[in-house]
Amino acid sequence: MAYSEKVIEHYENPRNVGTLDKDDPTVGTGLVGAPACGDVMRLQIKVGDDGVIEDAKFKTFGCGSAIASSSLATEWLKGKSVDEAETIKNSMIAEELNLPPVKIHCSVLAEDAIKSAIADFRAKQAAKRELT
Amino acid sequence: MNDPFQTLGVDARFDLDLGAVEKRHRDLSRALHPDRYADASATERRMSLSRAIEVNEAWRALRDPVRRAEALLTRAGVAFGDAGEPKAPPTLLMEMMEAREELSEAAHAKDAARIAGIASRVRDREAGCVERLGRGFDAAAGDAGKAIALLPTLGELRYLRRLEDEISAIEETLAE
Repeated sequence: MAYSEKVIEHYENPRNVGTLDKDDPTVGTGLVGAPACGDVMRLQIKVGDDGVIEDAKFKTFGCGSAIASSSLATEWLKGKSVDEAETIKNSMIAEELNLPPVKIHCSVLAEDAIKSAIADFRAKQAAKRELT
Repeated sequence: MNDPFQTLGVDARFDLDLGAVEKRHRDLSRALHPDRYADASATERRMSLSRAIEVNEAWRALRDPVRRAEALLTRAGVAFGDAGEPKAPPTLLMEMMEAREELSEAAHAKDAARIAGIASRVRDREAGCVERLGRGFDAAAGDAGKAIALLPTLGELRYLRRLEDEISAIEETLAE
């Protein structure tokens, strides 16, 4: 199977690989896996007081398309509000990377990771509000 | 794909005597060898060839625990893969993530002993999954409801296999 140029570009130069402090209340962590292939993806966002995502990091153990999908996702997340981030769809990622049908599930995984990072961030914020 | 148990004429169980299945595969392959059909009609030659391919494919499926489990799920009418399998529990994903991170550190440090340690832990855990699947499929005896309950164990085995593939790849690179 041939990877698109964009996938190879992200695979060779992945953006925003790394880790944010998962215990930081302004950090949301999403950890997701693809049951059919065993890929694991962690995506984290750090949200500023204004509700804008100021940093995003990922670590993905999987195929080139999974790495490219999460790398692209972190690029798109930075500078967006959490609400805007929530509108990112797997189809947008798949289209941008020209993913073939057999690799669509990699973009689904990235969307799952975004959603789960946002959910984690919101749960932390809600817990903080309850305390105060 | 055809039912590999039926193709090879062996019991539809997870716990198989793989030596006996392999012998069965060898015997069938020998009987279907093109040399034996040299004087047969074109139709017979074509049929024996496609049957030989099917027999090979069935053996490849049954020797692999993941595919063997999938074949039993298919028989029980249970969907698997992205469509049917539940999401992995967060603890499993966390463990897999941590193991990968430890692995990439060890690979970076070219620490063969540490990699071997991770490999042996992964293999032990895989063996545990295989044992649970064996008991589970026997108890389910083709019942879809009981077979569905085995999906998380199959999922765990997939993650472990994926990890093991990566360990093997790293071990090969280090050996070069």
